[in-house]
Amino acid sequence: MKGFNISKYSKPFILVAFVLILTALRPTTFPTVGNIANVLWSVSVIGIMVCGTIFVFLVGGIDLSIATLCGFSAVVVVEVIHFFGDTTLGVLAGVIAAICVGAMAGCVHGFIITTFNIPAFLVTFASQSVFLGLSMVITNNKIVSCTAPAAFTAIGAMKVFGFPLPIYFMLVIAIASWYVLRKTEFGRYIYAVGGNATASEISGINVKKSTILCYVFSGITTAIGGIVLASMTQQAAAATGSGYTNDVITAGVIGGVSLLGGVGTVPGAIFGAVLMGLLNNGLNLMSVPSTHAGLVKGLVIIIAVGFDAMQHRDQSRKRAGFRLFKKKAA
Amino acid sequence: MAELNQTNLETILEAKGIYKSFSGVPVLQDVHFEVAKGEVHALMGENGAGKSTLIKIITGVYSKDQGQIYWEGKPVEINNYQDCQKLGVACIYQELSVIPPLTVAQNVFLGREPRNGKLIDFRKMNRMTQELIDKYEFPLKPTTIVDNLGIGQRQLIEILKGLSQDSKLLIMDEPTASLSGKEAEMLFKIIQTLRNQGVSIIYISHRLEEVYMLSDRLTILRDGKNAALLQKHEIIPAKVIETMIGKVVDESSGSRKMLQSREGEVRLDVKGLTDKSDRYRNISFQVHRGEILGLGGLIGAGRTEVVRAIYGVDKAQSGEVWLDGVKLNPSPRNSINAGIGFVPEDRRNQGFIPLLSTTRNVALTNYDIVKKNGSAVSDKDELEMSKRAIQAIDIRPSDPNKEVGVMSGGNQQKVVLGKWLMRDLKLLIVDEPTAGIDVGAKDEIYSILEDLASKGVAIIVVTSDLQELLRVSHRILVMRKGNIVKEFKNVEVTQSKVLAAGQGVEEVEEAG
Repeated sequence: MKGFNISKYSKPFILVAFVLILTALRPTTFPTVGNIANVLWSVSVIGIMVCGTIFVFLVGGIDLSIATLCGFSAVVVVEVIHFFGDTTLGVLAGVIAAICVGAMAGCVHGFIITTFNIPAFLVTFASQSVFLGLSMVITNNKIVSCTAPAAFTAIGAMKVFGFPLPIYFMLVIAIASWYVLRKTEFGRYIYAVGGNATASEISGINVKKSTILCYVFSGITTAIGGIVLASMTQQAAAATGSGYTNDVITAGVIGGVSLLGGVGTVPGAIFGAVLMGLLNNGLNLMSVPSTHAGLVKGLVIIIAVGFDAMQHRDQSRKRAGFRLFKKKAA
Repeated sequence: MAELNQTNLETILEAKGIYKSFSGVPVLQDVHFEVAKGEVHALMGENGAGKSTLIKIITGVYSKDQGQIYWEGKPVEINNYQDCQKLGVACIYQELSVIPPLTVAQNVFLGREPRNGKLIDFRKMNRMTQELIDKYEFPLKPTTIVDNLGIGQRQLIEILKGLSQDSKLLIMDEPTASLSGKEAEMLFKIIQTLRNQGVSIIYISHRLEEVYMLSDRLTILRDGKNAALLQKHEIIPAKVIETMIGKVVDESSGSRKMLQSREGEVRLDVKGLTDKSDRYRNISFQVHRGEILGLGGLIGAGRTEVVRAIYGVDKAQSGEVWLDGVKLNPSPRNSINAGIGFVPEDRRNQGFIPLLSTTRNVALTNYDIVKKNGSAVSDKDELEMSKRAIQAIDIRPSDPNKEVGVMSGGNQQKVVLGKWLMRDLKLLIVDEPTAGIDVGAKDEIYSILEDLASKGVAIIVVTSDLQELLRVSHRILVMRKGNIVKEFKNVEVTQSKVLAAGQGVEEVEEAG
């Protein structure tokens, strides 16, 4: 839409640079179909979840309950499968139940946030504890393993054309999210609400309904993430998915999603997730000890975000004052 | 209130021969202004008369081009707000700077807390605050948490803050603008006590009745010059209005107009609209096809609240809104579907989405008419619409992908207007359509409105700019304190007459 603009391609450029560097450093182990599939497989859960939480970020909200809701959904799917005696029907029921739990959780979040005007930060900060507690009560705070039926383990591990299924799930959900945000009327309303809720309300947009829908969608993708994660690890526990709140928010921010609302794209968020996956994989292949991995990851993230910011320097310079998070036109 | 003893006037502040111009345009010319000890000196003038500029020069926000300021008879240089604070001048700002979780005393002594060694001496602080409260009879307690106080009492804290720094002159700029009637009463009482204790006050207000009640003297500015200095007994409302507008001005083309109403079929019919919180009551009026109805009155008269209720942003408690013979259930979506457009008063916060492009802003209300391929909005059709809007009203920059937040005020307003032009409108409501917009863009916006009216759209224009009101209106309604108090229809109207109606002044002598 804007004509050729180098800054528009900074994200693919960073990605290609990363791939080239890793290829040069580990020419035998990195550029193999198996390893690439492995990288994508490892980011697929984060990728699936960020496709939903981006909706929440775009309306200016945040979801701190991602990790424990992910764990709770994993527990729900596994427990329902056991309830149905590890049958294929049980898998279907479990998946539907977990997705309903996610949608309900999002609906409650959205309702409380919009009706009582309580900051999303507080509501989801409280509910993360609720989800954790529910998981603990249901599992008696034990790890529940689930190695059958095949329909369940296939979700996380079955390969199609050499790539595991979760990668396809991520692709499908990403395309669906991208389509909604980029192509539909509703998507345009979300950017408007995140950019200026009052003006949106006056323009006839149902701000409350739109906001609640965003939380519902975020809940659904989080639940799908939980299902996939449970299948990949063939178990579920209260701790399943711990740390994922950070990872999802980091993936979004690296991908240019503003936590102030109104700015961000699905391809950007997926880029953020993949970049994190490449980083983890690279550190692993180069045998960087896990004690140092966090340090290296943090530095690389700063460099990547800084590079992106430099590309948009012209645009940011026009705006007076300091901004915590960069905002760009959508 | 007893009148000041004129022979005993001890001048505390005097500004002599003040000149100021902005980029070559003179804003103040040879202005003289003085305040005596223990005097409430009111300052009045229409928008743009130079009141704010004069105050900003006194408080050191602007530098003057020429002239001299004297404090207690001695020439002084005021280069910043600190300078004027040191002299003993305190400005009570409209945007209050009190900190809600702290107590009254903590706010009064913020940053200047009395200390006992390294620690803050809270008992001393509360005692000092109590002394001030007793001296000037404030209805406050030092230990109350500010969060529990209303806006009127918060304003009193600002005044206390000034007094705690031994201020001898307080400047109050439209202090009652956001106060309820009761809170204003409280403020008036304090002002009188302060005055009796020898504190001087510069009182800037658009509300004549307040000025009439409170002030000892009144300086009126007009077009950057002294128009009058009136003693208390000379403050006669009709005379003040006449002086503010000026006879000469009143006879000039922009200030006098023969109204010709358009008696077409009725488009909008408002019946008995009444507000929950009593900001307007029993409002009934009609707007006809092709008619531009001007809604005048002072800020806070309830005009904005009425039009917001018609469009459905806020709900009225009772009353009906009919459009083309159909009763509406007002909500923004219903209004848009029925053919009503609304341009809100606060452009930046309510009018547009700064981060989004012209295209997205123009299309925002119009996705019901933008083409779709299945569920997908046609980017091409959306862009076409935005290009049509840009072309129709000359939005600059003309790049449809430019984010609106970086545009000039005039172009931002055109974007806000532009989205309504893309629809089949029956009624357009615009609230302060040209606030903060340069003269050229103002004219363009007027011609957009006139063009729409000629196509049969009914238009309501809410404006505090009297010149604008006369310029665009076919008929004028004036609101005051939540009621429609006057209709100007098929008569010759002047700025003075509209202003007098808004002020509640009965008769103004025909100028000239």
